[in-house]
Amino acid sequence: MSGDILKTDDGKAGPPAWLAQALDVAVLDVRPSLAAGEDPLGLLLTAADAVGFGGFLVVDAPFNPSPLRRVLAARGFSSYGRRLGPAHWRVFFHMDGGQDWDRDAEVDVLPEGALTWNEADGLHVDVRKLTPPLPMLAILRLLDGTAGLDALVVHHERLPQFLIPELAERGWQVVRTAEEFQDVRLWLERGS
Amino acid sequence: MFAGAFMMGAKDRLLPPSVPFRFFATAVLMHVAGWAVLLAGAGDLSGYMGGLGLPLAGLHLITLGVLAMSGMGAAFQMLPVATRRQLGPVWACRLSWWLFTPGVVVLSLGFATAWTWALHGGATLAVAGLALFAFLVGRNLMQVSDLPGVTRHVWLAVVSLVLLAGLGLLLVVDLDIGVLPDRAAVAATHALLAGYGFMGMLTMGFSMVLIPMFVLSQGVPDRVGTRSAALSAAALLLGAGGSLAGSGAAAALGGLVGLAAVAVHLKAQAAVLKGRMRKRLESFFRLVKGAWVVLPLSLAAGIALALGLAPDVTAPLWGLLLVLGWLLSFATGILQRIMPFLASMHSGANGGKPVLLSHLVWETPLTLHVAGHAGGVALLAVGLVLHSPLILTAGAVLGLAGALSFALFALVMTRRYQAYENTKNKGTPPE
Repeated sequence: MSGDILKTDDGKAGPPAWLAQALDVAVLDVRPSLAAGEDPLGLLLTAADAVGFGGFLVVDAPFNPSPLRRVLAARGFSSYGRRLGPAHWRVFFHMDGGQDWDRDAEVDVLPEGALTWNEADGLHVDVRKLTPPLPMLAILRLLDGTAGLDALVVHHERLPQFLIPELAERGWQVVRTAEEFQDVRLWLERGS
Repeated sequence: MFAGAFMMGAKDRLLPPSVPFRFFATAVLMHVAGWAVLLAGAGDLSGYMGGLGLPLAGLHLITLGVLAMSGMGAAFQMLPVATRRQLGPVWACRLSWWLFTPGVVVLSLGFATAWTWALHGGATLAVAGLALFAFLVGRNLMQVSDLPGVTRHVWLAVVSLVLLAGLGLLLVVDLDIGVLPDRAAVAATHALLAGYGFMGMLTMGFSMVLIPMFVLSQGVPDRVGTRSAALSAAALLLGAGGSLAGSGAAAALGGLVGLAAVAVHLKAQAAVLKGRMRKRLESFFRLVKGAWVVLPLSLAAGIALALGLAPDVTAPLWGLLLVLGWLLSFATGILQRIMPFLASMHSGANGGKPVLLSHLVWETPLTLHVAGHAGGVALLAVGLVLHSPLILTAGAVLGLAGALSFALFALVMTRRYQAYENTKNKGTPPE
């Protein structure tokens, strides 16, 4: 896994703050409907109608559903899209009045299910919602397997105490942290 | 600014190091004491089928003093991290140690001497400590809906603990007033629930998190964990029920179902090892692998005992393979790894560079511990089969030598950790 194969978001930096709350929401997968030649728009709009202010809707689609995102933006939804793989996009919608309606990031998915992407401050990995020991495994896989990697930003649910001895053995350490709701960020650096 | 300064929401699940390490240090000392008492009573081991005396005292120093003690320390430290839920107030964790440790010492003294006050007082204290532990763990598990593979095993352990503690108290009371119609059946059920139920289920449940974490591999899938928990529950029900009712056939059937549970568990662990990132397995894994080999053998011996085959050999052999062969091998193997790992983790928890695992670990005594333990268990097995007091004594000597070597490792590790912390606290950058 190499950070240089990841493509960067060309506009806004990283995922929106509300994304952490959307990760628990059940996914509405419209790929089977589209594969069967059906138009899922009615289904999607019905699902969107059921979302109250502050709520979420998560959709899996075989492409970036830009028209749907524009339609829902007009109804007050911000959206954040991630390309999870070939013919697989996941778009998170948040009913917040459409304050921040259109973000995309092309991400890579590690075997443990962690998401990685690049931002201005380097490679990021999101290990939230993974059950132990998968977060540690994903982080160490990146550290051990990414040539030339000297810094990594981790999005975690908590300070990963059990990771500290493993980092130390590899000459890495946590140099800075920041805690927001459901997003503990750790800046890891090699040899500092 | 370092993480620890404002990471309380995430950090507060980490207990102070004094909590787990008081359990681990006590387990290391009880390990030596247990082997020493077994050595003192080696002449009584051949054909041992139960009853007061040095073998019973040594057995409980190992089961309660090492296995339960390290299981409690590990659970207090690991469970809140694995389940991401609070386990309990620190004072309650400490109180469980203060109740349990003197209880184990006094109860073992009572087993060795038949002093009634020691049997009653020790049993009461030990059960009180275990009850508090069961309450704290149960309260933690009630908040958890994910991780079913782990939590179902731990629930089985908690239920077994309640039952075995009740039966244990009955057995102690029975010494005075003879309330039990079939004392041997109750004692066998108590042993089965203690070995396979309480410690066994803790071992299997924690293996699903600890082994992947230590070898850096994917965890065991929930569906596999729930399958092995369901089979284990059926095996425990059949085994304990059959044993209590005096039905050898039902108990043997429980053993067979237990073998199926073990097959599921070991297959899952093999898959964990196959997919690991850490290619070189550390020295502690010699004991873990040995434990995995002995686990099905203990069940085979238990089945033979349940069917009445040569009970003067299969009864003590079953106890040996279950307690020393499987559980003690696994527990001390995990202690070899978890003690320096937690020391390193705690040294980095409050900022600064943590002490390296490789700096804390002295390999030579660990290797001697493995050799002494393996040789001791093997000689004891041979001695039981051949009814040879000489071989049994030699086995206990080897086991004691291994335990002393492990204690030396723990002492050196503690000194290295303290030296590092002292240097760090004085402001000198540690090497």
